[in-house]
Amino acid sequence: MSGDPGDATNPEQDAELLTAYVDGVAELTPDERHRVSARLAVDPQAQADQAAVRTLIDRLRALPAEGAEPDWMAMERSIRQAVGGQVPRPWWRRWKWLAPATTLATAVTVLLVMWARPALIIAPEVPSGVDRGSHDPRPAEDAEVIVALWLDGAEVDVDLSASDVLAAVTPGDDDPAQPGDELDAEPGLLPSTDLAWIDKLDDAAIDRAERWLARKKG
Amino acid sequence: MLARPASTPRATAPGVTLADPDHELAERFRDGDRAAFDLLVRRHQKGMWRLVRRYVKRDADAADVTQLAFVRAFRGLAAFRGTATVRSWLYRIAINCSLSWLRDHRREQPAELAEDALTEVNPAPAQLSADDDRAWLRRAIEQLPPKQKLVLELRVFDDLSFKEVAELAECSENTAKVNFHYAVKRLRDILGVDHER
Repeated sequence: MSGDPGDATNPEQDAELLTAYVDGVAELTPDERHRVSARLAVDPQAQADQAAVRTLIDRLRALPAEGAEPDWMAMERSIRQAVGGQVPRPWWRRWKWLAPATTLATAVTVLLVMWARPALIIAPEVPSGVDRGSHDPRPAEDAEVIVALWLDGAEVDVDLSASDVLAAVTPGDDDPAQPGDELDAEPGLLPSTDLAWIDKLDDAAIDRAERWLARKKG
Repeated sequence: MLARPASTPRATAPGVTLADPDHELAERFRDGDRAAFDLLVRRHQKGMWRLVRRYVKRDADAADVTQLAFVRAFRGLAAFRGTATVRSWLYRIAINCSLSWLRDHRREQPAELAEDALTEVNPAPAQLSADDDRAWLRRAIEQLPPKQKLVLELRVFDDLSFKEVAELAECSENTAKVNFHYAVKRLRDILGVDHER
């Protein structure tokens, strides 16, 4: 039934094709039709088989339906009564308006928000940790930058804007009696927004900073 | 008796359509048009009943099963995905309902044909009346293996395309053609070459 020309010598497949050809030539591929026609043109046995198959199928089709047909109108009525008048519809058909409506509502909401509060959309980015709850449009450098650090088992809030003073800690300045005075004196030597400088501190500077923080905590 | 000259191949295959003629009705029904289902019933009730009647041997029972099949179709048509034709989908429901009914009423069915009915010596054609001839043919069909019988009946009595037959017999289209061929071949063997008139 494959129609593969390579099968042309297979008699069983030829017989299958012949049967299908007799009862529905339109359902064969052009190749299969050509193959059967070519065989019928030269093979008397195939012609006899074709006639026999045709006769048998016609006899079968001529068989009357079994049983006595019912009253079709009555059957229609009883089916109509049995199914009722309500057409069952899948749930998603009832809600098929939901997707476009939701899309439209979302688009309208976004447009309204953009129109009413454009500052929110174009607000400059501020460093993380800044309290944005008040939507204060102050520049980032004016804002207090407070982060929580975990030091010696206790949480310490550190104002990063004031932490510039840490940058003023210089090696050799090891006097615990002068906490923060000289630090406050020279702020801004290292940037407060880029904390990578912490990694560059030597042990002595870290010790001094920890002592300073301990005093702050005290 | 013959529908066409014996030498003429069947030009238009039964059930072969470019598009499903019932598709529009199914769509209308899904959109809430109740009358579309009535049209489907009118269009297919006869074929459905004939199909059911081959399984269910009492006329009244066949009518009941046909009605049940339509009720199930009514409930399921909204979810019909259209992968098969509406007709073959309806016929599948009818077959399922028939098989289900047979399971439930096994003991109430008329006695099956005697197993040895066809082992008798074939009567000579001249001895057969038209009724005998039909009965002989029906008995020969009953002797076919189930798959071949199903394919042959769907093809010959229900005028389905091989594609639709394949959908209902749950096989490929080529397998349906092969089964049809072997059904015809076996019938010819059963009936005897000289019995063909």
